Amino acid sequence: MAEEIVFEKIKGIHKVPREEFYSSGHRTCEGCESAMVMRMFSKASGPRTIALGTTGCMYVANTAYMTTPWVIPWMHTQLGAGGSAALGTSAGLRALMKKGKIPEEKINTIAFCGDLGGADMGLSAISSALQTDYDLLIILYDNESAANTDIQATGMTTWGAQTTFTPTGKVKRIMQTRWKKNVAGMLAAGHPNVKYIATAIASFPPIDLLNKVRKALSAGGPAFIHTLDPCPKGWDYHPRYSDKLGELAARSGIFPLYEIDHGTAKLTYNPPKPRVPVKEYLEKQGRFAHLKDEDFQYIQQRVDSMWEDWEIPGIIPVRNGTIRSEK
Amino acid sequence: MGKISTLLDEVAEADIKNVEVNYRGIFQKTLARKICKTLVYAAKEEERTGFSYGRYSDAPERNGVPCKYFAVVAEMSEEDLEAEAGAKIEPNDVNVSIVVDDTMVKGVEPWGFSGIRPINEKVKLGGTLLVVSERSPLELLKNVAKKDFPYKIAVVPGKHSFSGLWVYKDDFTDARVLGALARIEPDIVGLEALRKVVPEKLGAEKIDALNDGYKSVIIKSIAPGEGIDWPYSIPTLPKWHEFKEGIVVKSVARGGRNEDYKRFTTRTMRPVIRFDTCIKCDLCWYACPDECFDPTPDGLFDVNYNYCVGCGRCAEVCPVPNTIVMVDELKFENNDSPYHEYKKDKEAYIEWADQKMGEKRVNYPFVTGTGLIEENVKKNDGEKG
Ligand SMILES: Cc1ncc(C[n+]2csc(CCOP(=O)(O)OP(=O)(O)O)c2C)c(N)n1
Ligand code: SF4
Ligand code: SF4
Ligand code: SF4
Ligand SMILES: [Mg+2]
Repeated sequence: MAEEIVFEKIKGIHKVPREEFYSSGHRTCEGCESAMVMRMFSKASGPRTIALGTTGCMYVANTAYMTTPWVIPWMHTQLGAGGSAALGTSAGLRALMKKGKIPEEKINTIAFCGDLGGADMGLSAISSALQTDYDLLIILYDNESAANTDIQATGMTTWGAQTTFTPTGKVKRIMQTRWKKNVAGMLAAGHPNVKYIATAIASFPPIDLLNKVRKALSAGGPAFIHTLDPCPKGWDYHPRYSDKLGELAARSGIFPLYEIDHGTAKLTYNPPKPRVPVKEYLEKQGRFAHLKDEDFQYIQQRVDSMWEDWEIPGIIPVRNGTIRSEK
Repeated sequence: MGKISTLLDEVAEADIKNVEVNYRGIFQKTLARKICKTLVYAAKEEERTGFSYGRYSDAPERNGVPCKYFAVVAEMSEEDLEAEAGAKIEPNDVNVSIVVDDTMVKGVEPWGFSGIRPINEKVKLGGTLLVVSERSPLELLKNVAKKDFPYKIAVVPGKHSFSGLWVYKDDFTDARVLGALARIEPDIVGLEALRKVVPEKLGAEKIDALNDGYKSVIIKSIAPGEGIDWPYSIPTLPKWHEFKEGIVVKSVARGGRNEDYKRFTTRTMRPVIRFDTCIKCDLCWYACPDECFDPTPDGLFDVNYNYCVGCGRCAEVCPVPNTIVMVDELKFENNDSPYHEYKKDKEAYIEWADQKMGEKRVNYPFVTGTGLIEENVKKNDGEKG
């Protein structure tokens, strides 16, 4: 086994590593928060990291046309293959070290995948990676659509949102009628071998994502982080407000921030009460411009139910022996 | 065989008119599409054929990145026009190149492997570069590459109109541009035909805007050699045998940046920084998704304008009023380090920065397509740049 290293906790924005391992010159949108996830995870993990990425914005924008902003080695893998790529890479490193072909040392294996590639298509590969004892981290960067193919709904798109698959119409106002999956909770409940699981938002609370990545990398086994990434293009807001939208997602409670560290679940951010109404988060995005008051109320009621009726609020939907998703 | 080649020659000689719209990805996609589609409807009204299409290599469009939409019209059958102009990424040259955000006159780098190209690159002999701008053609010319033949620069007065994917800012820019086009090149589209189709396709309330665009457009002839020497080289595409095995791409060296894609032609506004009022909180550096800020030995943050896309996140998070303010890109001549200028002469830099920031501040609503609010600067009261 590779030597286990414990990463130091970053205690304030002035202590964030200055060096960039995902540098300037990428083909992302103005204000892209998923780019921020790339920047922050690589800052936290440092130079001895191999990154793997599935097809999607964070592949196409970062390696197309023979140029790249990556400083650390990075490899593209198929849309649903984030879990397999992480598993194969980590197993390969272990084998090479065992055979003495490369020196024994800690090399971080981090695979990232989008919400379509990870939470929909790639769920089975992630599941099998999390059943092993390999040292690997899978980051699900969730911009709530298949963004790279021009914004199609996925299983992670917020209820009611417009996408190119779910445009509003004269007969039906709401086309995205699926409720967002709780992927981190689902993976935690079903994978006893997983060492660390968390949800995060790259810009809120500041440094939270960096420290969660460090915890995940020092957990001594498979780990998984789900980030919610405001996407100025698909969500339709001015790019300068990515930080604000991330903050509102946390404060309104629509995206609970938690970690499950070796089986112990904990909210890492408890939205101050009264929670910000979800409408304040939703109405700032053009993709919800068609919603009516009754729609906002419906979403609010489901978010409230998640915080008030669940046994572990925001994490596990169990109450009095019933698995529930709705009041 | 003989018959086919004669046919093709005839087709090539026929008068095909090409129009392109240079627009900012996503922000102006709907606007560009509406201009091109309506133009084609008007040409059909005049019993000509036409079609409109987006540049394939621009997809997936990213916010701010320069993109193109095209309209082609001709007096020939649809099949012939399709054969002649259909299967192209873009036309070889255009009669009119429309620019819906005037900051693009500084050059456009689409996200394909294209380099930074002159905005008038495709304008043909006697053609026109038509810009939506509050500036005059001669002011714009200060940024535009020289050509070795005469053409025109026209301006339809107005400010760039930005929207998002779902909420369109309907400020009638589409109708005004079409009116201007009818004046510049009545052969492409006549005002009468537009008057017929605009009410149905864009809305009856837009007729005045159409007429206004027709009347208010300013046209200036540009002589050969007028303009600037283009400072950017166009990259040559690698040959198939030059690719490394397994499609390996060279990574960036530690401490470096991606030298092959400096993406500053994406921006419409740039952040101007008052280093003297900075409290060294690190937030701008932390918030920039394009890694533009360089920490300096004295705890300040220089900004690398070669990579800044003008998203405004740094200005939004900066806690000190008027310390980072977003300013119109056309007010600047180069991408030089502002920190360097500050260190050279602090007072001169502060005066320069204040003058660039001016007296107006923009308030940005969250949903882009709902417009901008301009206000006079209120010093020290928490106003954002
Ligand atoms: C097997 C397969 N199906 C479809 C595609 C086309 N495709 C490329 S990127 C993409 C969207 C990926 O969405 P997501 O994983 O959420 O990443 P994002 O683009 O949002 O960053 C799709 C459908 C593909 N590359 N491979
Ligand atoms: S579409 Fe969204 S995720 Fe993709 S590059 Fe643009 S902002 Fe980023
Ligand atoms: S505007 Fe500010 S945050 Fe945005 S790319 Fe430029 S320097 Fe970075
Ligand atoms: S955000 Fe403003 S105050 Fe803070 S370091 Fe940057 S310029 Fe200085
Ligand atoms: Mg996605």
